[in-house]
Amino acid sequence: MPQTRSTLMIVMALTLALLLFSFFTSRGDLGSFGTTILSGLFLGMLYFLVAAGLSIIFGLMDILNFAQGAYFMTGAYITFALFHLPAFQGVDANLRFPSAVAAATAVGALLGLLLERGLLRPLYARPIFQLVLTFGVAIIFGEALKAIWGTAAFSWSPINSFGIHQSGFEIFGRQFGTYRLFVIAVGLVLIVLIGLLLQRTRTGIIIRAGVEDSEMVQALGINVRAVFTMVFTLGCAVAAFGGAIAAPFLGANLGMGNAFLLPAIAVVVLGGLGSYMGTAIGSLLVGLAVAVVAKFSTEFLNQTVWSSITPMLLLILILLLRPSGLFGKESR
Amino acid sequence: MANESRLASWRRVVQENAPYLAIVIFLIVFPHLVGWITGDSPFGVGGRPRGQSVFWQSVLIEVFILTILTMSYNLIFGFTGVISFGHALFFGLGGYILGGALELVGLSPEVGLLAGVAVGVIVCGVLGFAMGLVTLRLRGVYFAIFTLAIAEMFFIYFGRLPLTNAEDGFSLNALPDLINPTRNRLTYYYLTLFFVVLTFVFIRRLMHSPTGKVMLAIRENEGRAQTIGFNTLRYKLLAISLSAMMASGAGMLHVILNKKVGPEILGVTYTVDPLLMTIIGGVGTFSGPIVGAAGLHLSERVLNRQFVIGPLTIDVGQNWSLILGLIFVLVVLVFPKGIIGTWTQWRTRRRSSIG
Amino acid sequence: MDTSHVLEVQSIHTFIGQFHILEGVTVTVPRGSITVLLGRNGAGKTTTLRSIMGLTPPLQGSITLNGESLIGLAPYRIAQMGVGYVPEHRAIFKDLTVRENLIIAQRSARDLERRSDLIFELFPDLAKFYHLPGGNLSGGQQQMLAIARALVPDNQLLLVDEPSEGLAPVIIEQLITAIRRLSEQVTVLLVEQNFRVASLLADRYVIIDDGQSVASGLMAELVHDEALIQKYLGVA
Repeated sequence: MPQTRSTLMIVMALTLALLLFSFFTSRGDLGSFGTTILSGLFLGMLYFLVAAGLSIIFGLMDILNFAQGAYFMTGAYITFALFHLPAFQGVDANLRFPSAVAAATAVGALLGLLLERGLLRPLYARPIFQLVLTFGVAIIFGEALKAIWGTAAFSWSPINSFGIHQSGFEIFGRQFGTYRLFVIAVGLVLIVLIGLLLQRTRTGIIIRAGVEDSEMVQALGINVRAVFTMVFTLGCAVAAFGGAIAAPFLGANLGMGNAFLLPAIAVVVLGGLGSYMGTAIGSLLVGLAVAVVAKFSTEFLNQTVWSSITPMLLLILILLLRPSGLFGKESR
Repeated sequence: MANESRLASWRRVVQENAPYLAIVIFLIVFPHLVGWITGDSPFGVGGRPRGQSVFWQSVLIEVFILTILTMSYNLIFGFTGVISFGHALFFGLGGYILGGALELVGLSPEVGLLAGVAVGVIVCGVLGFAMGLVTLRLRGVYFAIFTLAIAEMFFIYFGRLPLTNAEDGFSLNALPDLINPTRNRLTYYYLTLFFVVLTFVFIRRLMHSPTGKVMLAIRENEGRAQTIGFNTLRYKLLAISLSAMMASGAGMLHVILNKKVGPEILGVTYTVDPLLMTIIGGVGTFSGPIVGAAGLHLSERVLNRQFVIGPLTIDVGQNWSLILGLIFVLVVLVFPKGIIGTWTQWRTRRRSSIG
Repeated sequence: MDTSHVLEVQSIHTFIGQFHILEGVTVTVPRGSITVLLGRNGAGKTTTLRSIMGLTPPLQGSITLNGESLIGLAPYRIAQMGVGYVPEHRAIFKDLTVRENLIIAQRSARDLERRSDLIFELFPDLAKFYHLPGGNLSGGQQQMLAIARALVPDNQLLLVDEPSEGLAPVIIEQLITAIRRLSEQVTVLLVEQNFRVASLLADRYVIIDDGQSVASGLMAELVHDEALIQKYLGVA
C-alpha cells in the first residue's frame, strides 16, 4: 500500500531528524546522546501505556476518555502507598513491589469497569455528556487522591526500594538506571502482546471490526456492549499499570494525570485516532521528542519549561499540519 | 399615539422580565440592606473595607464574576454545542494581559487599564477564533483536546515565566482609584453587577436574533443546519470569539478584585467551575448559569466548615471540589437538564396535565 | 402459531430522532421464499430491514420470527436467533482480511469449516483472495463477501439490502445466480431498486410508499400490473 509506505517514510524521517538533532547537540558526548535516547524510549513506553487504551477505546466506542491520565496517576499512588505501607515493611521488597503493581492494576481495572458500566453506559445516546463526564471523573480522581494522600508529591525513597531500582549501568561513561531499562522492556513486551491480541485472537478481530463499524458487529450476533466494557476495563488497567511501574522512578504527584494525558492524546492524534500501529509508533516519537527537547532546553536555554510544554506544542503542530494523524483515515 | 405604544411596549418588557428586574433591584439595594440590618456601613468601617456589608459585597462580586464566566461558557457549550476543556485560558489570559498593562509596561493606571482591557479582549477573541479555525472543521472532540492542551500549556508556561514572577505571580498596586476594590468596594460591586446584566442582556438578544437561531440549530443537528445552507463554521467561530472575550472580561474583573495575577487563574479550576455551573444550573438556558454560579459559590461559602455526622467528621471546605465533582456526575446522570431545565420541564408538564 | 411464515411484521412504526419514518409497515415472509421490498428512494425500505434487525427498533407494532417476538431484543440477540443481515453499500470490514470477515460471523467454532465449501462454490473469488484485506476487493467481490458472511452461521432468514447497487451487469448476473442458490437453504427478504433484478429473483413483493406498506402479492402478477408499477415505482 503506497499510503502506508509514504507514512513510514515520514516516520523514519522524523525519527532520524530527532536522533541527528540530539546527536549534534550532545557535541560528541556519546553517553549524553545515549541516555537521552533511552530516556525518550522510557517516556515513550509510559505514554504508550496511557495511549493504548485511549486509542482503542476511542476507535471502538467513540469516547475520548479524558480520565485515562487519572488512571495512570491512581496506579502510581496506589503502588507507592502499598509499597511503603508500614504493615508490609516486613515483606521482601522483591515480592512487595510486584504485589503492589498487581494491586494497582486490579484497582485500575475495577475503576474502569465501574466508570463504563455505571456512568458511561447510560449515556451512549448523549456522546457530549460522555466526554464531559470522563473529564469530570478525571477531576474527581485527582480530588479523591488529594483527600486521601494530601497535596505533597511523593518521591520513592531509595533506601527501601526494589533491588533493580538502585542499580545502574554505564553507557559511554554515563549512568542509566537499570530500572528504566526494565520499564522499556516491559513496554516493548506489552506493545507486542497487545498487537498479537488484536491480530490473532477472535476478540482482537471483533475489536478491529468494531473500530470500523460496531453496529455491523452487533448485527452479526456479537454483544458489542460487553466488548466495550471489556476493552474499557483493560484500557484503564493498562494505564494504571503504567503508573504503577513508573512510580519507582517518578514517584506520585497530582500533576501526573495531565502530565501523561496530554502527551498520550498527542500520541493518539499523531498516530491517527483508533490506529494501533499509529499509537505504538507515535508513543516512541513523542517520547523521543520530549526527551530531546528536555535535554536541549536544559543545556542550551537553561530552562525546563520547554520540555513540559513540548507535548502540547506537538499536539498543536499535528493538528495544524496533519489532523488525521500518520495512520488515520479521517478526522471529520 | 406613538408615545402610548412605546409605553405599552415598555410595560410588556417589564412584565416579561419581572423576575429578573426584581433580582437586579434586590441586588442594587442589597449592600444597603445588609448595612441597615447589621449597622455596618456599605462603604466600609472607619475608611477601611470592613464590616458585614462589605464582606457580602465581595462574596457577591465573586458570584458575579463566576456568573459572567459561566454565561460565556454556556454560550458555546449550552447554545452552540461546542465543548471546550480550556475555558480558563481566556479567563487567565485576560487577567494576565490586564495585569501586565497595569504593572509591567509602565503606563499610567488609567491608560494601562484602558489599554489592558482593549488588548486583552481583542487578543482573547482572536485566539478563540484561531483555535476554532484550526479545529472546528474536524470532529467536535478535537476542539476539546485543543483547548485543554493550550490552556495547560499557558498554565505551565506562566507558572515558570520569570517576567510575571512565575508561581507566585504579581500584585496589582497601580489601580485607578475609581475601580480600586479596596478604596471603593461598593463602586466595584455595582460595576461587576452592571457587567453581569450587560452580558445577560447581550446573550439573550443574541440568542433571540436570527444568528442565535442558527447557533441553536447547530447544537441540535449541525449536519441539518449545513444542509439548509448555513456556513456553520462561521457561526461557531462567532460564538467562540464572543465567549472568549466575555471570559477574558471575567478574568480581568477577577484580578482587579484580588489585586493579584498568578498562574492559578489559568488553572483547571476556572475551566471546571463554569462547566459544572453550566451543567448544574441548566445547559442552554438563560438563567441556568446564574443559578449554577450563585448556587455553587454561595454553598461553598456557607458550607465551608467541618461537619460532624456521628463518628464521621467531614471537612466540606477541604473537599469541596470532590463534593462538586460527585454532584456533577449525579446531575449529568439523573438531571441532565440541570436545575432550570428540570424545573421548566416539570412546570410545563404540570401545566399541560392541568390544562 | 403459523409456521408457514418465517417472518411476520405487523404494522410497525419507527422513529429516527423525531422523524416518523415508518407509519405502519406490514410484511410477511413465507418460508423458503424470496420476498422483495419495492418502493421509491426514501420510502422506508432500509428502515424496515433495520427495524427487523433491531438497529432502529420500532415503537409500535409486532415482529415475530417463527412465532417468537423480536420486539425489545438487542440486535445481537436477534442475529443469534437466526437473522443474517447484508446491509447496503457492502458494509464489510475493510481492514480485516476475507478470512477474518468470515470468522467474525461464526457463532460456533466450526461454522466456517462447515460452510466453506458452499461459500467457495458460490463465490470462488473469495478463496482466491482469502488473506487479502476486504478493502482491496472489487465492489462485486465485496458484495459477495458481505453475502458470504451472512451464510457462515445457520440462519433462518437473510435480510439483503440493495445487493445490485452500483455493480456491473456481469457481476449482477453472478449475484442473481448466487442468491437463487442460497435461497434453497434460507428464506430471503430483499430490498432491490433494480426492477429487473427484483423480478428475476423474487417470488413475492411488498411495496412500501411513504412509510407504509401499500401493496403485496406474487411477483409474477406484479410484472403485468402496469398501473401499480407506474403509481408506486415510477418505472415503465
